[in-house]
Amino acid sequence: MPMLKQLASLGRTPTVLLLGSGGLSIGQAGEFDYSGTQAIKALREEGIQVIVVNPNIATVQTNPQAGIKTYLYPVEVEWVEKVIETEKPDAIIAGFGGQTALNCLLELDDKGILQKHGVINLGTPAEILRMTEDRDEFAQKMKSINMPVPPSYACETVEESIKAANEIGYPVIVRAAYALGGLGSGFANNEDELVALARPAFASSPQVLVEKSLKGWKEVEYEVMRDSEKNAITICNMENFDPLGIHTGDSIVVCPSQSLSDDEYQVLRNAALTIVNALGIVGECNVQYALDPHSLQFYVIEVNARLSRSSALASKASGYPIAYIAAKVVLGYDLLELKNPVTGITYSFFEPALDYVTIKMPRWDLLKFTGVSRLLGSTMKSVGEVMSIGRSFPEALQKATRMVTEHAAGISRELPGLSQDDLETALSEPTDLRLFAVIEAFRRDMSIETVHKLTGINEWFLYHSKRIADAEKEISGHADTTALSDPAKFTVASFKKVGEETWRKWKLLGFGDEQIALLLYRGTESEANSEDIRISSLEIRRLRIELGVKPVVKKIDTTAGEYPSPSNYLYLSYGGIFDDPFPDDGKTFSAVVLGGGSYRIGTSVEFDWCAVSCSNKLQESGWRSIIVNCNPETVSTDYNASDRLYFEELSLERILDICDFERPVGVVASMGGQLPNRLATPLHKSGIKLLGHRAKTIDLAEDRSKFSALLDELGIGQPRWLAARSQDEINSFIEEIGFPVLIRPSYVLSGAAMNVAYDSESLRQCLADAADLSPDHPVVITEFIEGAREVELDGVAKNGEILTAIVSEHVENAGVHSGDATTVVPAQRLYVETVRRVRRFGRDIAKGLGLNGPFNMQFLAKENEIKVIECNARAARSFPFVSKTVGLNLADAATEIMIGNTPNLSRFNEDDLPYVGVKAAMFSFKRLGGADPVLGVEMASTGEVGCIGETFDAALLLALEASGVRIPKKGILVSSGTEKQKLAFLPAAKLFSDMGIPLFATPGTASYLTDHGFEVTSLAWPSEAENNGETDVVEAIKQGLVDFVINIPKNTKRTELTNGSKVRQAAARYGCSLLTNMEKVTAFSKAISNLPDFVNRHRLLTLRHYQ
Amino acid sequence: MHKCSLVLSSGSRFSGELIGAPLTSSGEIVFTTGMVGYSEAITDPSYFGQILCFTYPLIGNYGIPLPPHVDATDLPKGFESAKPQAAGVILTIDSPEAFHWNSIQSLDEWLKREGVPGVIGLDTRHLVQIIRSEPNLLGRIEPESAEGDRMYEGAFAPTQKTAFFDPGIMNVLDYVSRKEPITVGKGKRRVGLIDCGVKWNIVRQLVDLDCEVQLLPWDSDFSSVDCDYWLISNGPGDPTRTDDLIQRVSRLFDEDRPILGICLGHQILSLAAGALTKRMPYGHRSHNQPVYLVGTRKGYITSQNHSYVVQDNTLGDDWEVWFRNANDQSIEGIKHKTKPFRSIQFHPEASGGPQDTSWIFSEFLSEVTK
Repeated sequence: MPMLKQLASLGRTPTVLLLGSGGLSIGQAGEFDYSGTQAIKALREEGIQVIVVNPNIATVQTNPQAGIKTYLYPVEVEWVEKVIETEKPDAIIAGFGGQTALNCLLELDDKGILQKHGVINLGTPAEILRMTEDRDEFAQKMKSINMPVPPSYACETVEESIKAANEIGYPVIVRAAYALGGLGSGFANNEDELVALARPAFASSPQVLVEKSLKGWKEVEYEVMRDSEKNAITICNMENFDPLGIHTGDSIVVCPSQSLSDDEYQVLRNAALTIVNALGIVGECNVQYALDPHSLQFYVIEVNARLSRSSALASKASGYPIAYIAAKVVLGYDLLELKNPVTGITYSFFEPALDYVTIKMPRWDLLKFTGVSRLLGSTMKSVGEVMSIGRSFPEALQKATRMVTEHAAGISRELPGLSQDDLETALSEPTDLRLFAVIEAFRRDMSIETVHKLTGINEWFLYHSKRIADAEKEISGHADTTALSDPAKFTVASFKKVGEETWRKWKLLGFGDEQIALLLYRGTESEANSEDIRISSLEIRRLRIELGVKPVVKKIDTTAGEYPSPSNYLYLSYGGIFDDPFPDDGKTFSAVVLGGGSYRIGTSVEFDWCAVSCSNKLQESGWRSIIVNCNPETVSTDYNASDRLYFEELSLERILDICDFERPVGVVASMGGQLPNRLATPLHKSGIKLLGHRAKTIDLAEDRSKFSALLDELGIGQPRWLAARSQDEINSFIEEIGFPVLIRPSYVLSGAAMNVAYDSESLRQCLADAADLSPDHPVVITEFIEGAREVELDGVAKNGEILTAIVSEHVENAGVHSGDATTVVPAQRLYVETVRRVRRFGRDIAKGLGLNGPFNMQFLAKENEIKVIECNARAARSFPFVSKTVGLNLADAATEIMIGNTPNLSRFNEDDLPYVGVKAAMFSFKRLGGADPVLGVEMASTGEVGCIGETFDAALLLALEASGVRIPKKGILVSSGTEKQKLAFLPAAKLFSDMGIPLFATPGTASYLTDHGFEVTSLAWPSEAENNGETDVVEAIKQGLVDFVINIPKNTKRTELTNGSKVRQAAARYGCSLLTNMEKVTAFSKAISNLPDFVNRHRLLTLRHYQ
Repeated sequence: MHKCSLVLSSGSRFSGELIGAPLTSSGEIVFTTGMVGYSEAITDPSYFGQILCFTYPLIGNYGIPLPPHVDATDLPKGFESAKPQAAGVILTIDSPEAFHWNSIQSLDEWLKREGVPGVIGLDTRHLVQIIRSEPNLLGRIEPESAEGDRMYEGAFAPTQKTAFFDPGIMNVLDYVSRKEPITVGKGKRRVGLIDCGVKWNIVRQLVDLDCEVQLLPWDSDFSSVDCDYWLISNGPGDPTRTDDLIQRVSRLFDEDRPILGICLGHQILSLAAGALTKRMPYGHRSHNQPVYLVGTRKGYITSQNHSYVVQDNTLGDDWEVWFRNANDQSIEGIKHKTKPFRSIQFHPEASGGPQDTSWIFSEFLSEVTK
């Protein structure tokens, strides 16, 4: 059946409202840009007018395009209702915007807003969505269709618990209800253990849950698609490397399943189809199971009746364009009439056959957060992921590990100094390091059986991990130390007897050339520097290529080769001898665009937007665009985002392999963030042409000393700095410039983050974290200028001349990482002279570096004195925000320069901007138990939002609301560090109290405010309250006395008062709005005061098209 | 490492390593894209005389369960007949060790024990592209130092070392059908099953649906069989090279007992109904073949393994097309307009593959005998 009758019979172009997922946060990340963007493509093909509501300005789906209206507003009922009133859409689609969109839809439905405006909900009906979200209702429904759910009993006495456990059968898991942080829970293998757990649990909780323990069970998922004709298919299944117990977002996931027999595969597939049919799902659905590793018994754990992270992964793993097809299906098309876009000749009603294996690996970045526990469990902590493709399991596992660690050692990373006891703990208590512990265990000759017992990981996965560890030893064993001083000779001597078969074996086991070089040096026990490794690895490359050992290019075609396919979705593997055939596309020029890899703190959807813009521009210009990326959550890895997609490692070796095959004009390394930027120099050294900035420019901008020398030459100021190699150097530097100073450890392996030292005590602490101060590992110390404004300049340059550049300004003073800062375009508070100097310095730097492409510069401004912080000779995080706000696509302009054109920017006027844009950071502290949600010089945000308004105030309020900072209603809790900050808070306090918002404060702040005539309730610090039984601040937050917390730390020292940290953590955990920066508080207070009754009085704006 | 080559009738030679028994073997070279169910496929009699190339690179992960005793009636899961039927296997990569609660041996050990040779380490994806572009390709597995030939019950061995065995040019039913009738199950409904190389899961499905199944040799005298239903099973080879089976089946049309044909059985039934069959350029061999119920928008994902297909526009007036393939529109099932005779090209019993069409068995059994 073609389009739904309700839409087809309108007699005009239907309008459909698509809800996005907002800023990226843990658990809800870039996958929804992928799904929303595909949905928009599917809708536009039908001629449908699309209205997008999503404040995530950095996404591809919020691009201004023909047929699309973009509303950069919070995905909240009041704003979506306003959009509905304005646009009067015929239908709404919520299945492509994650939990945020789904919750919004349910609320719109609850409040009768959809009904009132006659908006049809396309896809799975609201009542079914509601049922899948409700634990009890869902369990009832599953039971009614004979689908097993894990038995669980709520007990109120020890006797009841025993009865329940007997009913369920041991082992059981005991959980005290209403207890935080898993307090009072544990496993019981028999009645004695149960009683021992239950007794104390009842002491603190009236109710105890006794549930069947599924510890060690396999976790398996199926992705299902069902159309309105009740045709249902499973796109693929996935099996977790880790057994049940770790959130699937934090698990290593393998697609398709590896350890399931046909029987098991079909039993779970049948169950998935039974469930979606019984629920009446229309569109995409994900079903999660626990499967007994010793029988056919299984339980249904969860059903997600929407596009999810898993479906994005399934789509990239199988090649089936799930989101695109799901969008057509919710419009009313059935799977039998939709072509499979990958083959062009078969239909969408089929189940992909894979002839490769894919592995998803999470990226955690836990070291970026102060105090967070590294243990993995039921709460997701990862901030991104990669997916690898191989034709053997070890090949895929090794690729994935290198992709996610961004280090050549990959899985061969050692865990030095780990005792046997520590190792066993690292195996039995899962953390972000467990995979490395598994390999380490096999290095130490532990048996598969022992490691299986400690980890619960399926023996098949362990067996293949062991093969890697065994081969590591074999490689190291080849070291011939006679020519150790010369890396090339050493390499040749060591591998002279290694023949084709052995090279093939190692490569098929997934070892990279650099990894092999590292392992070879490991066999000598002498340390190699990075240049030795680089030379050795290139020698290894030469040796094996001489023997004909090269990877082959294979297509992902959804049919395992059964049908000829024009697919452009590619990967490289050593599991084959022949490249897949390619028809001639008639294009003469081609460029390889390097994507950003895994999302992580600092690299997010913004860089994917840059890569996608670049690819599109290349295609428009008649070039063949070839994207290399390995992040399944991205739009850049969509089958139709480029002419050819290599879902591959962003490593020197792999890019050289791809260039050998593709022979491109050059490589674009400046659009994917820091990871590809780091590849620019090695690629240049290997003879690959860089498009855009020359290698010399990149080196000059990246090398601190060279850049600093350039600034001196140009007479441009910079904060004083020193690469200190000894304590003495540090002491004399600090004597000269005084505290505070910014400390930057040389390399992130130590895990130490950047930090600010305010005195010798905190300096000692920072240096202790940096661990390995030595001539080889200098620590960079920089003057930290307090009270300065931070200004950014984003633009494009050609041959050293800036063609255009946009000035933006941070709301916060310098000291907050630019990725966490609130940014405004155009700048609001800068002196004309400041702007003039910034632009002039920008021009001088551009000329000095010879910039030839996209750039971002950061400046400090204090009383018109301008100092340069850094210059990135690449596209920056701020590009999509700045581009969309001012109406000029900087990524497009940069791409033009790269291919030798001069972009026509004559119509663009920097002074005539349509509105004000504010970008705010999105944090995920709620999920990171133990982490202190304080902002500092190290970036901590996981995403961002960007909103536009007629005024700065309006844009600020929208952006803050979209990032979770809501207008206070109940009360504000204030605790404001220093005397200076207390004074700075007074104007805001005046505005808040004039608006009638009750103020609460910690004792010091309370008396200060009282002294200044404010009515304020004093609340005790948590530590004080214990003594005299008062309501403390944490309690007040918990009880909901306040809904807004302002907590300004005395300084951005890492281990600030634990009291302040407790308050901030409580705010994050209980969903209070939290501000920790006084400039932001001031701006916010002015904005809410200037804009009373904001939602009602606000006039909606849509994003204007590029000029 | 034991070297082993695959030689194609087109002249190409690919070298890899041996898995399984060090024997020479020859047959039609075919591929399957199923990602699970390798023991089921290798023991599926429809693959008799064929060298089976698995496109999924990781085969053998979950090992092989306890094999059945020949002629036992317990029909253990994981096996579709008592022994491997394929002439040989082609795999991408090893998974020499298997781990599964149900496994007692690795694929390699089992193939060795059962006298089946295979080649690993070939570029199977490339091989599939060759098979796809060269119809009716034959192949021969040549271990570097072969210890003999792959034997089929002693009945067949290539006469010359350089010969290629083509299961499509002769009647191969004798090699896969039972020699003596046997009854399995104790149910109310009595099914006469014409064994052309029946997959055990057909028998399991019937037994589960309260049937007593008489497994009959393909060349039995059907007129002497006392049953309520007829089932013509799957099997290998060219449906037109089955001696008088087609005539004997056509005589069943004189009566009104319900008939179900599956795969080869569907082709036999179609031929008996007057239709024609032809060899496809390359067959349907996968777990993801989409079919739809003609006249509806209702589709099913099916497991398939066939080289021959019933030709369009050759069916008699009494018959109609029941199912078609959603990709190439080929006939996937037919039914008689008035009588309870029907047949399907796909495998409703699956094993391996999706079980979406298992309802066909219960629908068949619910036909009231007129």
